[in-house]
Amino acid sequence: MGFLDSIIGGRKKLKGPAPDRLFALSTAYVTLSTGHGIESKGVAAIVFQPLETADFESIVAEMEEILRGTGEETGTTIESAQDEHDYRWIILRDDDIEDLVVGINAVSDGLTVGGYGDRVLAAVFAFRDSKGRPLYFIYNYKRGYWYPFVPAGKHARAGERELQIKAIIGAELPIEPELERWFPLWGIPI
Amino acid sequence: MAVTKTQFPRDPGLQSRMILTMFLLGALYVVFVGVLFAAGVNAGFIVIIAVGLSVAQLFTSDKLALHAMGARVVTPAEAPELHAMIERLCIQADLPKPKVAVAQTDMPNAFAIGRSQKAATVCATTGIMNLLSPSELEGVMAHELTHVKNRDVAIMTIASFFASVASMILQFGFFFGGGGDSDDDGPGFFAVILVSLVVYAVSFFLMMALSRYREFAADRGAALITGRPSALASALRKLASGMDKLPQQDLRVANELSAFFIAAPTKQSIMGLFATHPPMDKRIEALARLEAELQRGTLAAA
Repeated sequence: MGFLDSIIGGRKKLKGPAPDRLFALSTAYVTLSTGHGIESKGVAAIVFQPLETADFESIVAEMEEILRGTGEETGTTIESAQDEHDYRWIILRDDDIEDLVVGINAVSDGLTVGGYGDRVLAAVFAFRDSKGRPLYFIYNYKRGYWYPFVPAGKHARAGERELQIKAIIGAELPIEPELERWFPLWGIPI
Repeated sequence: MAVTKTQFPRDPGLQSRMILTMFLLGALYVVFVGVLFAAGVNAGFIVIIAVGLSVAQLFTSDKLALHAMGARVVTPAEAPELHAMIERLCIQADLPKPKVAVAQTDMPNAFAIGRSQKAATVCATTGIMNLLSPSELEGVMAHELTHVKNRDVAIMTIASFFASVASMILQFGFFFGGGGDSDDDGPGFFAVILVSLVVYAVSFFLMMALSRYREFAADRGAALITGRPSALASALRKLASGMDKLPQQDLRVANELSAFFIAAPTKQSIMGLFATHPPMDKRIEALARLEAELQRGTLAAA
């Protein structure tokens, strides 16, 4: 199917989100924090490329509104940011990682229900290890896989550390099997 | 829940034209092979050589093209912005990351090359990176990534396979004046030469048409990936006006590779039939229609 589509160059649409493995982080986090000293920074974000149409903007605004509503109960705060590549980030802050996962899922669900699931790029959860070094787990929606991302200065990443983390958590978190798809995200605003 | 809105409807016209072109190419080649066998030409030898050449072309064309353009594969540290842009587009297009190359030339252009999605290279010239705004460049790179996604290099190589067989027969014919084992088979041999000539000419025009359709498809794919058809249209407009001022020596080098460029490096020829790329105006028009569809989809859903 996909091959035939590519032969006639007629893909109708982008690949939508893969089966949802976002919630795997909640259980994996127990192992990360108790066994390996990797703690949540209490912040997560979802990044997508916005469409400049009125419909898209209204769906995003509506979704943010709903999140603010539920945030009053759970204590999750929400803000949004535009990065230098014109991608939109919706940033959630909550000390409870469960609430973060639920909140991020609400954003992607909101976009999917609005018909824009294919615009969603990735979700990013921020952590720090026992030595205080930053560490991100990135969830690629198109693939349905996680991968670790450890920035080491401007446009450099600590590949060794990332592979260590894969070894630590690979059994519990569905990690992207193809290393060439461990795309970095520079300038993550969290 | 899992329903995704099709943001752009299919373009049945474009697809049917592309399928028709491919069908005509295929039919032409079937007839050609039939004639070769009917004429009793020892075509096996030529076909084997042509297969070898095509495979070699598939496996070396990326390096050759990069070399011809004076392009060099760059690391993320050397071109952080370009890498970051391509990485995000790859996530969006669900592609493995290709190699990224930069050519040091003022000619504003970009191309994608490589036999498969995993062995692809996308290249931008310093000229295009200076000329375009980030969102325009993003549209151009998304266009190139769509070429990768659509396997255009492999398809054009396969499509050109029988044309190269025909051209080899022509060359053998003219240089050696006949096939070794069939000295008394004169008229048959000249018929084969004639048929080869026709096959070569016709397949040339069909391939050019196919290449133009694939450009439209790549524009469409780019609009789909970025969600910003107008950014690509704006990039094409800038390229169209910048293209005429190119130094000639660059054109000569670039000419053979032009099927994989974002914009044909020559001025649009008088006869559109010879062009690998559709006229810029037509491409910009098509992108404008996509933008209108995008904005209209809006109204319907609201």
